[in-house]
Amino acid sequence: MQDPAIQEAFVRLVSEHRGMLYKVCRLYCRSVADRQDLFQEIVFQLWRSYPGFRGEARISTWLYRIALNTAITGLRKRRGLISTVEPDQLPAEWQEFQYPAEKEEQVQLLYAAIDKLTEVEKALTMLYLDDRSYNEMEQILGISQNNLRVKMNRIRDKLRKITQADVYGIGKS
Amino acid sequence: MELESLKYIWHSLEVPAPGEQERQALLALLEKKSQAPVARMRRNIIGEGILLLVAYTPAILIFLLGFNGRLIAISWLFLSVLVLFFAYYYCKYRLLNKMQCPTCQLKSNLARQVRTLKRYTRFYLLAGTGMIPLAYVVAYFIIRWKMPSVNPNPWLILLVPITIGTYYLNACYINRLYGRHIKKLQDLLQELDSE
Repeated sequence: MQDPAIQEAFVRLVSEHRGMLYKVCRLYCRSVADRQDLFQEIVFQLWRSYPGFRGEARISTWLYRIALNTAITGLRKRRGLISTVEPDQLPAEWQEFQYPAEKEEQVQLLYAAIDKLTEVEKALTMLYLDDRSYNEMEQILGISQNNLRVKMNRIRDKLRKITQADVYGIGKS
Repeated sequence: MELESLKYIWHSLEVPAPGEQERQALLALLEKKSQAPVARMRRNIIGEGILLLVAYTPAILIFLLGFNGRLIAISWLFLSVLVLFFAYYYCKYRLLNKMQCPTCQLKSNLARQVRTLKRYTRFYLLAGTGMIPLAYVVAYFIIRWKMPSVNPNPWLILLVPITIGTYYLNACYINRLYGRHIKKLQDLLQELDSE
């Protein structure tokens, strides 16, 4: 698939949704190098599947499925927690987007809370935070809407406890 | 903090439109190859197949056309080994292709991966272990045929312990390679199913 018009359309699609892709990478990888590997892999998988996309599902459903499948089930070599590649040694185009300092603090808090969830819970939380309907969540994850609601309630409680413990030290000895 | 408050922060995490440099980087990425282990394994199989073909073809031709046809049996033996290896690579490649379905629902993709990965490891184990008795049997008949003065029967005593040893070694190695990943996928599947 080397048609420049197709490539161009694909790049436009990825560019439009790269915020979502970055969020998936940040949710599932701790080190910058791992996030870049995952981002690259998601783009590969999207590109491979692109010719087969016929618009039967919503584009967002298709994107979430590929991104979450790659992040959760992909057999990946994980680097250690200490990254061996410094971000500033990487090509400029692969360096991570940085939020302003005041926002970065909020972002850290958000990801620190979500990081304590399981991989399935992270996926559910992300879809919920992205305002996906239960119907679309079912299409993406393949679990019934009743089960999704039960899980969401549990996650809500879990996140409340996590953030209370992190912010106010409740539950910490 | 409530989930709704997290939602507010989440929605504020918008990234600016990509610049030309980033767009070019994305285009360049499409020309590269996937570095995921499954994609690498697929490429390795193709590489090994080509290497085997390049190494075996001259040997097969030399024994087939040279030595006035006296060593033609060796060329048949090499050809059989080559066919066996290609059958092995074909099965492995097919299983690797079936392993992932990124456009499927997460749950069905997980179930598919667990199923295929189990089949892949079983095949790996059987093929890796089965090669030992097969090589023994082939060597046995060649010796009986070409060197009638040599008695290969005592060697057969070693066949059983070596095969059993190879089986456990392979099983241990496969478990080290894939055991944790299979367990992780099964746990995820269980979590998706549980209410």
